[in-house]
Amino acid sequence: MKKDITLSMIAVLSGVLLTLMIMNNSYLSTFTSPLQASWITHGIGSVAAFLIWVIARRKTIRADNGSKKIPIWCYFGGIPGAFTVLLAAITVNSPLSLSGSIVLMLTGQIVTGLVMDHVGLLGLTKRKITMRDGLTVVLLLLGSILIIMGR
Amino acid sequence: MLLFFVMIALGNGLCIILSRTINGRLAQVSNAFYASLVNHVIGFIFLCIIILLSPTTFVIDLTNIPLIALLGGVIGAFFVVINSYVLPLLGATLTTILAISGQVISSVVTDIIQHGLPNNIYLQILGIILILGAIGLRYIKK
Repeated sequence: MKKDITLSMIAVLSGVLLTLMIMNNSYLSTFTSPLQASWITHGIGSVAAFLIWVIARRKTIRADNGSKKIPIWCYFGGIPGAFTVLLAAITVNSPLSLSGSIVLMLTGQIVTGLVMDHVGLLGLTKRKITMRDGLTVVLLLLGSILIIMGR
Repeated sequence: MLLFFVMIALGNGLCIILSRTINGRLAQVSNAFYASLVNHVIGFIFLCIIILLSPTTFVIDLTNIPLIALLGGVIGAFFVVINSYVLPLLGATLTTILAISGQVISSVVTDIIQHGLPNNIYLQILGIILILGAIGLRYIKK
């Protein structure tokens, strides 16, 4: 349970990082286009990730599970990730505007997460969808909509 | 036409989770640092291809851009490390719900710091309470 709380805090922290990242990238977009901004960020991100990786490799004792073969699809997470910037640029500039895009993107994220957990897709542990999941989703979306409306 | 944009926005959410789950898997079979490296390099190569194929000319005047605007890439590298570490352990749904909560609440705070109080702070506070309720719900024993 204690470990669960720590993990949860880390997950929340990742959301805070997302806010800072999106703020910063939007600022960058004011100097360039969204596509250019994403290209620059991925370039800088590659360098940063490389440095982090090198440092982490040195510090940690390599508990390498080299016997496990890495499936090829594991390498393609960056592609849908790069797509999101382009798709967001399309919807934010459509009648949906920013708030509509955000709520729909959140919905898409949660529904995808639920389905993938339910089926156990891409190596996830199977976690069946429950009534509680439904209630969580409703509360979360309602809360997000209220925050957008209150601006 | 609106339905088309709705589908794109929903599909965007799907892309986000797909990306994070794949990175999470890579973090499990390898490690989270490697997952962040691969994610960014592959994404960068993919965007290079898109840019080469796109008809518009690609000019960036780097001298215009303040250094601080480039920090987003560094933050992104850390984000992928910690998100890929947590996601396989907590599951896609719970990780997503927690990350969204952190994201929404911290953006309300930064908005207030940057632009002062919003038009309807009570509505926003109610929204935050609902989101905290949604998280709390996950920790009530069944």
